[in-house]
Amino acid sequence: MRPLLLQGHERAITQIKYNREGDLILTAAKDNKPNIFFSANGERLGNLIGHNGAVWCIDVNWDSTRIITGGGDGQLKLWDLETGACISTIDNTTSARTCAFSYSGRYVMYSTDNTMGKDCEIRIIDFNDPQQVAGHGLMKTSVCTSTQKGKVTAALWWNLDDGILTGHEDGSLCIWDLRNDLDKIQRVKAHRGIINDMQYNKDSTMVITASKDNSAIVFDSDTLEELKKFPTERPVNSAAISPIFNHVLLGGGQEAREVTVTSAKQGKFDARFYHLIFEEEFGRVKDHFGPINSVAFHPDGKSYASGGEDGFVRVHHFDQTYFELTFEGEDFTPLEGGNY
Amino acid sequence: MMKSSWADRVEFEQGDLPEPSERIDGSLKIITDYREKDGKKFKVISTYKMEKKEVAKSVAHRKSLKKFGDSKNDSAGPNPATTIVAEEIFMQFVSIRGGVEEQQETEEDLQLQAKTQLSKVVACRICKEDHWTTHCPYKNQMPSNTPLDESSRAAAAAANAASKTSDSKVERYVSPGLRDGFGGRRGESMPLTRQNRDEATVRVTNLSEDVKDSDLTELFKPFGRITRIFLAKDKITNVPKGFAFVSYERISEAQNAINHVHGYGYDNLILSVEMANKSNN
Repeated sequence: MRPLLLQGHERAITQIKYNREGDLILTAAKDNKPNIFFSANGERLGNLIGHNGAVWCIDVNWDSTRIITGGGDGQLKLWDLETGACISTIDNTTSARTCAFSYSGRYVMYSTDNTMGKDCEIRIIDFNDPQQVAGHGLMKTSVCTSTQKGKVTAALWWNLDDGILTGHEDGSLCIWDLRNDLDKIQRVKAHRGIINDMQYNKDSTMVITASKDNSAIVFDSDTLEELKKFPTERPVNSAAISPIFNHVLLGGGQEAREVTVTSAKQGKFDARFYHLIFEEEFGRVKDHFGPINSVAFHPDGKSYASGGEDGFVRVHHFDQTYFELTFEGEDFTPLEGGNY
Repeated sequence: MMKSSWADRVEFEQGDLPEPSERIDGSLKIITDYREKDGKKFKVISTYKMEKKEVAKSVAHRKSLKKFGDSKNDSAGPNPATTIVAEEIFMQFVSIRGGVEEQQETEEDLQLQAKTQLSKVVACRICKEDHWTTHCPYKNQMPSNTPLDESSRAAAAAANAASKTSDSKVERYVSPGLRDGFGGRRGESMPLTRQNRDEATVRVTNLSEDVKDSDLTELFKPFGRITRIFLAKDKITNVPKGFAFVSYERISEAQNAINHVHGYGYDNLILSVEMANKSNN
């Protein structure tokens, strides 16, 4: 395969997402301008100018009309995808670490860091209320105080619009009930280290967590029951489940601050493919020269994008050999990918 | 002549370069661009393949959107400043079941074939097995002109196979005093401390990279009192190299450890444990 190299950023990539149809790739990085690329040819639609610091999170709504970003400058920004204009800004004292549109697009959740004496908080914006879009009267709940080590580091909506699934700095997973004032329904101690990323599979029945404790775990998203575990020998920064195969993609590598003191071979910066059921590694793609911070599968499962500490986003279209892979004991025909 | 300002010069030089041109040839779009770098002029020809795809209305609509932000002035199609086609890379397949691994197997088959062919040509004069006479494990014990009987030949074959699997190193020179014939008297007059320790040392190979000293202690403690553990590590990276030496107080303890741990699966690897003293000589 010949990857497309997208050079829209000057600093390390923090998050990559495809929109629902997969024609766009949204990338956020530690520089202040998130980018939007066309996934087919790598053409840049544009970038979003307005943040004053690192952008930690990015999400797009169901019909790809709005983008939400949260940054280290404490700003949560709502953008119009078609023009790149900023529609609304909500200021926070601390960084906005995670953000996500709900399934219907009616709500946005975001979480803030527990620095500067502030609590880590989860907040919900209801788009039916113009006051809330401007940042007033949000539903919110405190997760932990500034002295505790348990801030939200990854978040997803849970069960469509019903709740929020959060991954924490201390390695735990929590579910918060939106209909009951963000009451905590469940808490599971999943990992021994910070949870860097969480992603659902295609039908949201499973969620995969990527943790600094060198492993990724697949959970049942309803019960948070551990289904499969993928141990590696380096921190996992991001993990994704293929929409068409029983494949899991892990991206990671040694910590960025250790990169300069060891040789490149030690870094293990390759994207690794595991079989979801057998929990066995079957393939690697070696091309980043820094740890991979975020990975995402195209919704049709035929390509994937990875973004690294090196600031590059690479879009890989799989070779035919990947589709012809068969596994002993697996009687399986690929699911029909979205035909967009 | 007056020196032109820096800005003027840039403008002048740019004006000197031919205009970029664009040509459409069937499904190919060929863009010819001219650039100047380090005083040299370059002609850059980029060829793009144009494809027509049927997509959903919403996707088609987004494709027709005007670019914004820093890409506002980009023309249609990818801008080489932000989009590059990288070098060809391949997915490396790691120990998958079936599929691509066949090719490696055939290579191994070839090697095996070559070996069997070689074995037909080579026959030891001492034990009539498939190795050179100089490599025969019995060459120091047997007078070369007396042929072995059947049973000892089989033993030789087994020993030969064992030595082949354990390592394929070229046999080293062994001084006469240390050869097996003199084995009983070796080092009699020497102080026994160091000698003893070496004798009661086992070499553990095929260890995993993740193994720690403490793991080894735990593994080898049950067989006797350990006097020393040496885990070989890479000087730069400090990653274990996959072998270690474990010393006991008595040879019997070392032997006991070999009996129990040799061939034992540890961390998905089959450990190989053997006496270390031979290599130390």
